[in-house]
Amino acid sequence: MRRGSIVRILGLTVVFAAVQAVVAVAFKWLPTSASRQMDRITFVYWFATVICIAIFALVMAVIVYSVWQFRAQPDDESDGLPIHGHTGLEIGWTIVPAILVIAIGVVSAIVLSQNGRAGTNPLHVNVTAQQFEWSFAYPDNKNLKSHELVLLVNRSTRLDFEALDVIHSFWVPEFGQKQDAVPGIHTHLVVTPTRTGHFTLICTELCGLGHATMRAAVSVVDAAGFAAWIKKQQSGVGSGGSAAFVSGGCGGCHAFKPAGSAGQIGPGLDNLEADAKKAGQPLADYVKQAIVDPNAYLVPGFQKGVMPTTFGQSLSPQQIDALVKYLTGTA
Amino acid sequence: MTTAAQHEHDTPQAFEPFGPRARGFLLRAGWIRATWCTALFFLVGMFIVVGSRAIFDMHPVYNWTIITLTGALTMAPLGFLTGIGAFDYWFYWISGRPTREEDHSGHGAKAWPDYFRINTDHKVIGVQYTVTTFFFFVIGGLMAMLFRAELAQPGLQFFSSQTFNGLVSMHAVLMIFLFIIPAFAGLANFVVPLMLGAPDMAFPRLNALSFWLLPIAGVMFMSSFLAPGGPFAAGWTGYAPLSVDSPVGSMFFNMGVQWAGASSILTALNFLVTIITMRAPGMTFWRMPLLVWANFTTSLLVVIATPFIAGSQFFVMFDRVLHTSFFVPAHGGYVLGYQHIFWFYSHPAVYIMMLPGFGIVSEVVSTMSRKPIFGYRLMALSFIGILILGFSVWAHHMFVAGMADWLRVPMMISTLLIAVPTGIKVFSWLATLWEGKIRLTTPMLWALGFISMFVIGGLSGIFLGSVPIDIHASDTYFIVAHIHYVLFGGSVFTIFAGVYYWFPKVTGRMYNERLGQLHFWLTFVSFNVTFFPMHYIGLRGMPRRVFDYSNQFGSLNMIISVASFVLGVSTVIFFYNMITSWTRGPIASSNPWGAHTLEWQVSSPPPIFNFDEIPVVVGGPYEYGVPGARHAILHSAPAAEEVHA
Repeated sequence: MRRGSIVRILGLTVVFAAVQAVVAVAFKWLPTSASRQMDRITFVYWFATVICIAIFALVMAVIVYSVWQFRAQPDDESDGLPIHGHTGLEIGWTIVPAILVIAIGVVSAIVLSQNGRAGTNPLHVNVTAQQFEWSFAYPDNKNLKSHELVLLVNRSTRLDFEALDVIHSFWVPEFGQKQDAVPGIHTHLVVTPTRTGHFTLICTELCGLGHATMRAAVSVVDAAGFAAWIKKQQSGVGSGGSAAFVSGGCGGCHAFKPAGSAGQIGPGLDNLEADAKKAGQPLADYVKQAIVDPNAYLVPGFQKGVMPTTFGQSLSPQQIDALVKYLTGTA
Repeated sequence: MTTAAQHEHDTPQAFEPFGPRARGFLLRAGWIRATWCTALFFLVGMFIVVGSRAIFDMHPVYNWTIITLTGALTMAPLGFLTGIGAFDYWFYWISGRPTREEDHSGHGAKAWPDYFRINTDHKVIGVQYTVTTFFFFVIGGLMAMLFRAELAQPGLQFFSSQTFNGLVSMHAVLMIFLFIIPAFAGLANFVVPLMLGAPDMAFPRLNALSFWLLPIAGVMFMSSFLAPGGPFAAGWTGYAPLSVDSPVGSMFFNMGVQWAGASSILTALNFLVTIITMRAPGMTFWRMPLLVWANFTTSLLVVIATPFIAGSQFFVMFDRVLHTSFFVPAHGGYVLGYQHIFWFYSHPAVYIMMLPGFGIVSEVVSTMSRKPIFGYRLMALSFIGILILGFSVWAHHMFVAGMADWLRVPMMISTLLIAVPTGIKVFSWLATLWEGKIRLTTPMLWALGFISMFVIGGLSGIFLGSVPIDIHASDTYFIVAHIHYVLFGGSVFTIFAGVYYWFPKVTGRMYNERLGQLHFWLTFVSFNVTFFPMHYIGLRGMPRRVFDYSNQFGSLNMIISVASFVLGVSTVIFFYNMITSWTRGPIASSNPWGAHTLEWQVSSPPPIFNFDEIPVVVGGPYEYGVPGARHAILHSAPAAEEVHA
């Protein structure tokens, strides 16, 4: 092999690697990390990226150089050099990639083990997933229940998952961590938030008609904010109709102008009077029944079994009354 | 298309002492008999159900779920196969009548109707397969364009969520089970017996049956759109328990997989026996073209793995119909069991969809570079390496599924190690280019496009192999990007390479080179604009299989959707080129690429039994540039003078 061609290949490799490096750095490929676990995932990501950039640059350099250098003239009917192989080269490209991928594997295994450790005193949260809503319980705080996930900044959290119907999956992109909630088995996940703010929990396992909008609000607060939130939840200040609408996740599926929601899974809630008339019920009774026993009457065009039937248990009677008043405009 | 009529078998039936009785048009094998047999078998299935339910006093007697399953999804396809004539010869045997000599009346194609009946010629079956699979490629592609229209903006615009989920699921199922897997089987069907120097496949009647099982699966999948409650919509992975609770449409998936799977298994068995027993004299394993090696290992994968997906779908269906509780946790079922069984097939299936492509690219790169394949033996051995490693990586699809924690690291290591035999292949192709005389014909463009796109897909696979990154990227658009770089930039590019490469051999005519290059470049660019941004939106937080997403991804999704329409349009060029070239393209010589493998040493299209005389193999298949080297000796070969010295 000619020395000059090796130099030119290496030159092309550097050019391709530089272009890729610009693409890798110019765009923010990962969300801004909000957890210690995501910091480590970001590290593995860059470790793998550097290796992959080098490999892809080399491959492209050889293809481009070969096509440029060895392309036959249109009238050239001759054959190339009959090279059948090169044992040293073949051993090389078996061993070097093996070493590189094992390096990625070792780094990944270390990070995986670190990301699974919850420490000695984690905050415990029990997460319940069902079609199509998330709910959270805080066993350390008298099993306080919420439809918003509130976590403490810099406090390791152990989330324990339960799924009531089909498989769902917990993912907050800024946290990096993900875990399926599987009916019949117990799964868990560790997250240590590193900055305060508001995030969105997304279901990432196809779970049925409402999968795309199965989301929940996530807040990371400091210790004072967490104490205040717990107190507020326990004293029931948040039990007004609009608060129940938000914490129940109603807006994920239902459009309701006063709440500014635009969900499309279930019937819109701005014309409840007309729906009640069709159902032949007084407005307040109709709305209450639709919340606690959604399959009793279906607005034409909507399917049975989409709306969870558990709001009668997960919302307190006061919350349901407040919600009915809020929805019927009599609050 | 007409075949060289050197073997005429027009023996009148009256002279056959033990020949089949002359039959009226209702009883003659063909479409008319297929129609009434399908209806009859459906009714038989229906009344087995209705009769049993009436006898055992079960209500309602007309349980349409069970009737659909027994009548429409099980009995009717059997009726169709019986009617079209897939079993005629075997029934004739079983009925104990004296065997008759094979008159080859069902062999070869003299006119186009011969492609629409049971035909035992591997070349006809290869064309039947390929054309059928491209039909489903179009349907699957149109479905993708429909849901890309929906995804151009956040929120729901055109479809219900049921229809959207159904389109996404159906797109994947058609592309995987009705396009990529059988398209490779079709190309190999045409080429492998020729490459081996064999007159046909080992079991021609089984081969015909394998093909006719395929449209049954396709029609079954698509007719789920007509089922009450909509099509199956639990994703192509059909995870339990969602798929157990879904509307009846998901039974069409459960059963469609059985018919497609049976087709795969039968073809694979046929390939294995053909490759093991029907090689021409001198054709040792180390002299087989790499396409044959590829189909040998692929067939092993199919035979070993496919029964697992069949089982997984039966379990889901039994949970629904027989009230078993394989995956019903309330009754002791184990939900993750489904995923383990499913992926024990579906990961090897990734290689089922990739190894034949590796074979095609090896042929094209060697021929178009005018060089022997670099490191032929290591190339062949790396197929075996992938075959073995391929069975030890399935749980990397389940890193976030909640399986045993300790299982993740070993599965990660075996997953990453698969990069080694795959890397060997890529580097060998690159070294084959080196010092070659590269001809940038359309198949070569697809092959080079494949290598670069497949490396991107392989490298994103390294990210996904690493457990911590996979935990973040799992079930996002990053996965969608990865799978399309591997299956579209990978498999589909190689299918295009193969179709262009063997087009002159199959049809006897040459495709339009300029349109072929236009097709490549348009597809290459729009493919990248469609799928590369998906890496980004996935890592940034967009999950897969959603019709609604965060507004921040709106503009990129619009770009992706527009590019996907261009991608759709680019295939119009392909079909235009194929159809016009097949009907009135310039006549191709028997060996337009100057290739050494056996299929190019016979006429285009090849004679009905491939070789007038069994060839004798005397050397390797890729001895380009070696003075005086020959792969095989054919005495009456019309193309012998074209072998390059």
